[in-house]
Amino acid sequence: MVTFLLILHGLCAVALLGALTHQTFAVWWPARKPAGMPTAFRAVHAARFTNGVILLFIVTFILGGVIYPPYRLAVRTYLETARLWTVNGSFELKEQFLAIGLGMLPFYWHVWRQPLDEALSGARRATCAILSFAVWFGFLTGHVVNNVRGIF
Amino acid sequence: MIAARFTPVFAAAFALIYCLSEQFNIALVTFHPRLREWGLLTEAPRNGPGMYWYGWVGTAALGALAIALLSLPLTRNRAAPQWIGWAVPLATMVAFVYLLRAFFFR
Repeated sequence: MVTFLLILHGLCAVALLGALTHQTFAVWWPARKPAGMPTAFRAVHAARFTNGVILLFIVTFILGGVIYPPYRLAVRTYLETARLWTVNGSFELKEQFLAIGLGMLPFYWHVWRQPLDEALSGARRATCAILSFAVWFGFLTGHVVNNVRGIF
Repeated sequence: MIAARFTPVFAAAFALIYCLSEQFNIALVTFHPRLREWGLLTEAPRNGPGMYWYGWVGTAALGALAIALLSLPLTRNRAAPQWIGWAVPLATMVAFVYLLRAFFFR
C-alpha cells in the first residue's frame, strides 16, 4: 500500500510540476503565438492553471503526509546511519519549503483570481516562482531519496 | 475585498509561525509512528521517534488563521501590503536554509 501511495504521490507531483512550470513560464516569459514547442509551452492561459495547481498541491501534500511515517522509521534512520547528511538535510528543507508553500496557497489563489488585477502582476510572478522552486526542489529531493532508499 | 486583506497576512503569519514552531518545537499534535498513536501538543517520543511536522503545520495554520482574522478590522481602512504575502514566505525559506546549514557542512 505504501508503495502504491508513493508512486501516486510521485505522479501527482509530476502533474503539479507540469501545471506550475507552464504557468510560471507563461507569466515570466509570455509568448503571444505558439510558433513552435518552446513558445507553445509559454503561450498558455496562465490563470486557467490556478485551481488545478491548488488541488494538485493539496492532494500531493496529503499523500506525502500519509507516506511520511514509513520514511521516518525506515528511510531517515538509514540516512542517519549511513551518514548521508546532505540527502537528509535536503529532505528536511523539502518539508519546510512545502509547508510554507501550503500556507501561500490562499494568497496564490487571491493573486490569480479573475479578472486579473494588474496591480498584482508582480505578486503573481513572485508566488509562481516561489511555489515552482519549492515544488521542483521537493520533487528532485524526493527522487534522490527514493533512489537512495526508496520503495523496498 | 476581504481576500486582499486576509490572504497576504495569512501567508506571512503562516511562514513565520511555522518557522517558530519548528525551531521551538511547538506542535499542535505529535505522531508516534511505531505505535501509530497521536498525542495532543508536543509529547516526548514513545518507543521510537516522535513526528512533529504535522503538529507544526497545524500550529502554523491555526495561528495564521487567528492572526489573519484579527487583522481584518485593522486593515479595513488601509489594506495590508500585498508583497508580504510572498516576501515573508521567501525570507522564511532563506532562513531555513541558514538554520539547517549544519546538514550540509559536516
